[in-house]
Amino acid sequence: MNLTRFRSWLKWIAKGQRLESEMETEVRFHLESYAADLVRQGLSQQEAMRRARIEFGGIESHKDAMRASVGVRWWGELGSDIRHGLRLLRKNPGFAAVAILTLALGVGANTSIFSIVNAVLLRSLPFLEPDRLVKIFFNNPGTGLHRVLYSVPELEDLRNRAGVFEYVTGTERGSVNLTGGSRPERLEMLVSSPNYFSMLGATPQIGKLFGPPDFTPGFAPSVVISDSLWRRNFAAHPNVLGHTIRLDNDPYTVVGVLPPDFRNPGPTHSHDIEIWLASGFTAASDPEPTRSARAFPSAMGRLKPGMTLQQAQARLTAMAVEIRHDFPTDYPPENKWTIEIQPLQEALVGSIRPMLLVLQAAVILLVFIVSLNIANLLLARASGRQQEMAVRSAMGASRGRIARQMLTESLLLSLMGGAAGIALAVATLKFMPRFIPSSIPRLSEVSVDWPVLAFALLISLLTGLLFGLAPTMHSTRADLSVATREGSRGSGYGVKTDRLRNSLVVAEMAIAVILMIGAGLLLRTFRDLLKENPGFNPTQVVTAKVNLPFPSNPSEDPYRTIVKQSAFYQELGHRLCAIPGVELAGFVSNLPAADVGFTFALGIEDRPSNSGDDLRAKDFLVSPDYFKVMQAPLVRGRFFTEADEDGKPRVAIIDESTARRYWPDRDPLGRRLRMGTGAWMTIVGIVKDIKQDGLDVDGVPHIYVSIYQEFDPAEGYVFRDFSVALRTSLATSALEPQIRHQVQSVDPTLPVYDVASMNELLDRSLASRRFSARLVGGFAGVALLLASIGIYGVLAYMVGQRSREIGLRMALGAQRIDILKLIVTRGVVLSIIGIIAGVIVSVSTASMMASQLYGVRPHDPVVFLAVPLLLFVIAVLASYIPAWRATKVDPMLALREA
Amino acid sequence: MGKQIDLLQGTLDMLILKAVSLGPLHGYGVLLRIQQISGQQLEIQQGSLYPALYRLEHQGWIASEWGESDNNRKAKFYSLTATGRRQLHSETEKWNRMASLIATILRTTPEEI
Repeated sequence: MNLTRFRSWLKWIAKGQRLESEMETEVRFHLESYAADLVRQGLSQQEAMRRARIEFGGIESHKDAMRASVGVRWWGELGSDIRHGLRLLRKNPGFAAVAILTLALGVGANTSIFSIVNAVLLRSLPFLEPDRLVKIFFNNPGTGLHRVLYSVPELEDLRNRAGVFEYVTGTERGSVNLTGGSRPERLEMLVSSPNYFSMLGATPQIGKLFGPPDFTPGFAPSVVISDSLWRRNFAAHPNVLGHTIRLDNDPYTVVGVLPPDFRNPGPTHSHDIEIWLASGFTAASDPEPTRSARAFPSAMGRLKPGMTLQQAQARLTAMAVEIRHDFPTDYPPENKWTIEIQPLQEALVGSIRPMLLVLQAAVILLVFIVSLNIANLLLARASGRQQEMAVRSAMGASRGRIARQMLTESLLLSLMGGAAGIALAVATLKFMPRFIPSSIPRLSEVSVDWPVLAFALLISLLTGLLFGLAPTMHSTRADLSVATREGSRGSGYGVKTDRLRNSLVVAEMAIAVILMIGAGLLLRTFRDLLKENPGFNPTQVVTAKVNLPFPSNPSEDPYRTIVKQSAFYQELGHRLCAIPGVELAGFVSNLPAADVGFTFALGIEDRPSNSGDDLRAKDFLVSPDYFKVMQAPLVRGRFFTEADEDGKPRVAIIDESTARRYWPDRDPLGRRLRMGTGAWMTIVGIVKDIKQDGLDVDGVPHIYVSIYQEFDPAEGYVFRDFSVALRTSLATSALEPQIRHQVQSVDPTLPVYDVASMNELLDRSLASRRFSARLVGGFAGVALLLASIGIYGVLAYMVGQRSREIGLRMALGAQRIDILKLIVTRGVVLSIIGIIAGVIVSVSTASMMASQLYGVRPHDPVVFLAVPLLLFVIAVLASYIPAWRATKVDPMLALREA
Repeated sequence: MGKQIDLLQGTLDMLILKAVSLGPLHGYGVLLRIQQISGQQLEIQQGSLYPALYRLEHQGWIASEWGESDNNRKAKFYSLTATGRRQLHSETEKWNRMASLIATILRTTPEEI
């Protein structure tokens, strides 16, 4: 189409009504002028007009040709096809609702998953030239250790010796108490080399970012903060620049604020990083860092321009060999120490990719099944529309024209379903983080943007084409003369397509069975876990986290000694107990099911250390009242008391399974043990097992130590992170400000955070199980819905095809119940085949699920009986509707058609 | 009216262009003009004139304008555009070449082969 014609076409599209009136005027002018000439030749007015019309020819078909001449005919036809399609949908609201609803589910699921795939996998990282950014790993493949720590000289090698990087930066995460803003806060921070921002190409929102010139051996005195921290704690005021804040009591100056969309390219934990600190990683107290002083976890780099990943990797591998050769004592040859680089994007999302792609494939399969289902429903309807099609073609509609009409109807349906699906996806977008494990990186970037919308549109159009094809082919095949005369129901559908439709239903049924059995097992696991006894009474317990600061400058440390700490705990304990409604207050280093804790080598007195046992244990620091707050039962001995303090004999409490394991035939009370090379402690009590590591983990032995006694005399380090546990009848929300008030009345610099009831914590620890149970459950529900629609569609089609036969049977004396049986039997047979297939697959693969289950056997008889039964009932119900409709066939009508 | 000849396929466009090249005409006028110059010997179905007029305008060879007819009625007048004139010229040339070629072929006698 050249420009002139395109302009003319546009003009007529825009002025559709004017085209019609102009044609009308022009034709009338012609007829009347000709008639006037004929009158002059002597004809009567009436006769002249009649002759004029005859000689002009069919006015409507000429007008149609005129529309076609300017290229707007198909446009008008599209409009009428759409109107016709909408009328049909309105006439059959049940069908329309089922089709649009299932399409909305299919397209919605695809849109949601693709919005995650797009944000996490496809969109490039929001940094300058992200392709050149790499994550650097150090491995000891000889001993099977990957991603080991590195030392400062090794970082220097990457910078100065490798010659492949423009920048190399080391990073280390931590959390810290912030004071000096509007209120104390616990924040995530990142300590990095000063060139961190230059490497990423970041620019500040206000102020400046630290850069290579800010290098100091230890921590640089300036910090950069996130936009969210700026808004939350500094009222988004520009005077934050130059302001002094304290991080664990050490003073720093804020020099810049990052833009809102800046995020550290690292794993997403529950909180984003909000404070950035520069460090040379060589404290003044440690003047000459050695190669073996490997203490740093993570490094990133930017490749030099033009350097490919392969070239860089080859150079680094060669350099690792040189270094091993140069410093043989620092690099034991059996380690085979080496350096590995990975594109930053890959390092961030590589582990999550298979899971996301599997999900995407699953939802594409889902929308495919939806589409086949709708094709079936449309076919069932098309057999009732053959007469309409035959009339249309008798009136002169071409096959192509009819095909276009059918396709328009299908695409209309798919676009309506697609729009509903997109709406569904947008509406559920903000709830999605609640259902998805927060460990997926870049989740905060998920949004429905143009690529996602384009994908949703594409999926809708493809499904529309797919399910539109079957009835289109069906309708254009209709035999004109037979159909108009008889409204015949017999059409060219052979055994082959019938078998295809039946296998679809069987497969849908089998998939539904497999998914529902999986969902049943996961849900039973989940329910059992909720009922699991955690070893204490979690109801009416409210907890909060508090961290004592650990400043670099010892003179700023108010908690330098265990005596000072003990005084703090005692004072805080009294104050918390004084809150009306609080019965008792306790402290613990790690709350059950919430914190990981550290594992130590357990030393047991009078027991040879090389006996081959796995002597590992976790220790937990508890205050005297902690077990009473948690209502954890004491088996024997005693709890800690206020007298178990510094300077008194060291004491410990163990749990029952530890007692059974290491002192199976003796009384552990009075015996001694120690953590690592720490001081010996005497066992004074035994408590029931507590599910410290989560409801679904049995874990290593647990040793409880008095919070007044545990410290490392060699290092002088005293444990700083603890949780408050209160036994109370008050609600969490009511208690939160009071806890904060009491803590800050003892020390105003302490932030109080993560205030939650113990039941919430237990619940949260099951988040990933809940996610998989919900995910599989959701898929199972959709599969069930699709399978029942599938059965319905196939049977409805069958009833349509065989209505003549049914009428004949009824005319020959068949009862309604016979007809009902005839149809329902077909549905039941199909579904039983599907159910059996699904059960066989489930039985043979159930053992693969064993790792996901807890307390439920993979072949749980309840699930394996209930699910098939439920599906069978639903299949019978779905078959009943078309069967019931078959009994309404009027024998007279059906016979007359024959 | 003598014996009429059916219009050859594809020649209607050329005739319309020729008709309006002599001055702006409305649709009925185009019909009269063609019949007049052909000496009433061409059979044109009157209605089929209009799709052709619309097609020619769509292609930019003729332009239309609403005006008043001789009997003071609103009518649409078609006139030749510059590109239409070029088109008519090349069509005419092509037609003449074709006509003389066909004529030559038909004149051929057995001896000449």
